Amino acid sequence: MYRYTDFDRQFVHARAAQYRDQLERNLAGTLTDDEFRPLRLQNGWYIQRHAPMLRVAVPYGAISSAQVRTLAALSREFDRDYVHFTTRQNVQFNWIPLVKSADVMERLAAVDMHGIQTSGACIRNITSDALAGVAADEIVDPRPYAEVLRQWSTLHPEFAFLPRKFKIAITGAAEDRAATAWHDVGLELQRNAAGEVGFRVLVGGGMGRTPIVASEIHAFVPWQQILLYLEAVVRVYNRFGRRDNLYKARIKILVKAEGQKYFDAVNAEFAKILERDVNGASQQIPQAELDRIAACFARPASVQPRADVAVAADAPLAYRRWIERNVHAHQVAGYRAVTLSVKRAGQAPGDATADQMDAAADLADRFSLGELRVTHDQNLLLPWVQSDDLAALYEAAKAAGYATPNIGLVTDMIACPGGDFCALANARSIPVAEELTERLADLDEVFDLGDIDLHISGCINSCGHHHSGHIGILGVDKDGTEWYQVTLGGSDGSNHAPQAVAGKVIGPSFAASEISDAVEAILDTYRAQRSSGEKFIDAVKRLGLEPFKAAANACRTTTARTGETA
Amino acid sequence: MKFIDTHHDAWHTASGEDGPTPHPVPRDGLLLTLEQWHAVRDTWPAGLRTGVSLTNTVDVETLEADLPRLALIALQFPKWTDGRAYSQAHVLRVRLGYRGELRATGDVLVDMLPLLQRTGFDAAALRHDQSVDAAERQLGFFAGHYQRDALERRPLFARPADEATHTAEFLQEGASI
Repeated sequence: MYRYTDFDRQFVHARAAQYRDQLERNLAGTLTDDEFRPLRLQNGWYIQRHAPMLRVAVPYGAISSAQVRTLAALSREFDRDYVHFTTRQNVQFNWIPLVKSADVMERLAAVDMHGIQTSGACIRNITSDALAGVAADEIVDPRPYAEVLRQWSTLHPEFAFLPRKFKIAITGAAEDRAATAWHDVGLELQRNAAGEVGFRVLVGGGMGRTPIVASEIHAFVPWQQILLYLEAVVRVYNRFGRRDNLYKARIKILVKAEGQKYFDAVNAEFAKILERDVNGASQQIPQAELDRIAACFARPASVQPRADVAVAADAPLAYRRWIERNVHAHQVAGYRAVTLSVKRAGQAPGDATADQMDAAADLADRFSLGELRVTHDQNLLLPWVQSDDLAALYEAAKAAGYATPNIGLVTDMIACPGGDFCALANARSIPVAEELTERLADLDEVFDLGDIDLHISGCINSCGHHHSGHIGILGVDKDGTEWYQVTLGGSDGSNHAPQAVAGKVIGPSFAASEISDAVEAILDTYRAQRSSGEKFIDAVKRLGLEPFKAAANACRTTTARTGETA
Repeated sequence: MKFIDTHHDAWHTASGEDGPTPHPVPRDGLLLTLEQWHAVRDTWPAGLRTGVSLTNTVDVETLEADLPRLALIALQFPKWTDGRAYSQAHVLRVRLGYRGELRATGDVLVDMLPLLQRTGFDAAALRHDQSVDAAERQLGFFAGHYQRDALERRPLFARPADEATHTAEFLQEGASI
């Protein structure tokens, strides 16, 4: 993991001190609530339905067991004994009183953590592949570059008040596990024919009201120049992005409206930075700096190739299922990466109690050199597990409630906190997730359904990524009632559907009482009509929406009676 | 950072009852709109201290040839959360080498000061309800930053290692800058 330097450490403490000054002025009445808002947001403090929500950054998803224990302790001391993991690899608290917020920031700073730029119209926390540095299909380890980007984007003075939020994802493996095409900027590390490392740069992706998949703006930016290229991308956006309409302010709208004209402007700006700016070229990343940062991510010395322990063919079914779904190939012989499933009956997707957090930290210490990852699909992952430890890890993870063998299956659903917590939400997500989890309690059935991404958002802001779900559920509000729109065929761009695409709406919204039946009918239709070995997403592509739509429509009771059409 | 007391400002606009005078009479210390400047620039005498106020949609690179003649450029923040003028300031200082006064005007809050300073502003006309003390305090929290900016032209990684360490040690000792 990255090791904070004295500079980094002082920096997060300075940020906490700066925030305390702002908070005190707000409490004293000299900084209005409206003007405090953008300042607190840029430190991760929202005001939500019940209390402020704090979003803590987990840069590119990497977190230590000590940090996890601190989050657990903070949830006990200031919150209600649980946290929530997000699709952007962050961690959220829900019940911390605002007057305590500066204290909490200092506590976070003490373990090299913060909430800087986890919200606000600025460059957000950088996300990456949860398997970075251990993935068997890795081309280039993205973590050193992600850290360089973290530093570059942190309190960038020119880009703190952009037209709207700006999200960057970076990946360096054959499979895109970071949904890069759904980001404002997606960076794909590549090697060219000469073996040099560079970035394929995508721009203009995003969900929300207008889902758009990012387009390639540059096929190969040499890694040394990536900060300069991003400076050009963001500066042109800062200048020309719309500020008159919140819903049209994301860079995706600018890219869609201007197309090649935007690309040309960025490339011209990039050339000017290199050729004209005083010391412009000094922003190129020197090899020594990359080496300094990369040294933090060197493979731990104790991790050496070792004999691979195969799973016995007569091992219990439950264990074999866990191996199949939750255990992943590794770069180092004899090692595995293991997902701790944070999707289980009785708890909201991505929620972990303080005790469960401590248990995860213990598992990381015992089996993974004290390191964990927060994954894009709201789970935890242990990156350094020896194959001969898998059986012991399985038992320990099961005891801690982390061994649901469902990674990539329909019950490994993504869901935002929804209307139970979020002030923006139009409908609740958690009860829908709960009911579906209950109905899909039969593991044989879930395994038979195979790979399915089920994504649930409580509103059009799309924090639950419904657009990219093979099955997407979107909560909408009509006349104070919760309704749910269903989309099919979306993809985040990972392997089973490598082309990122937004799902298509299958018809009018369903009533809350109908939505679970409708989803079950869709799953039944797949089961009945799939060809041998055909995955859900492939069946949707082959069959089209109609058979699924017809089956889902047959579940309508309330909506059919009222002639609901919207 | 210079804080402008708008009641005792050395600079004056050239406007009448109907708004900005289309062809202002040359005099020292005039702060012109871009339209006024375009109207008079070809005949404007040398030697007069002249300023131009730019809206935040102006491409500052179009002013490059005029910059040596300008002692003041005022950039506008119609809303404090509209960050376009930061990019204008950066380009003026880092690309175009503008050396005159760069002033932030409009909805200027004390919490903008660190950003203003780092993008190259050296003067700020705070909104009337803002406190200069609080503004100055905002400039003291950080001893250094990661990026290059208009003041520190090298990113952290291009500065000598001992320089960055010194800064951190300095801070650890409880010093404020």
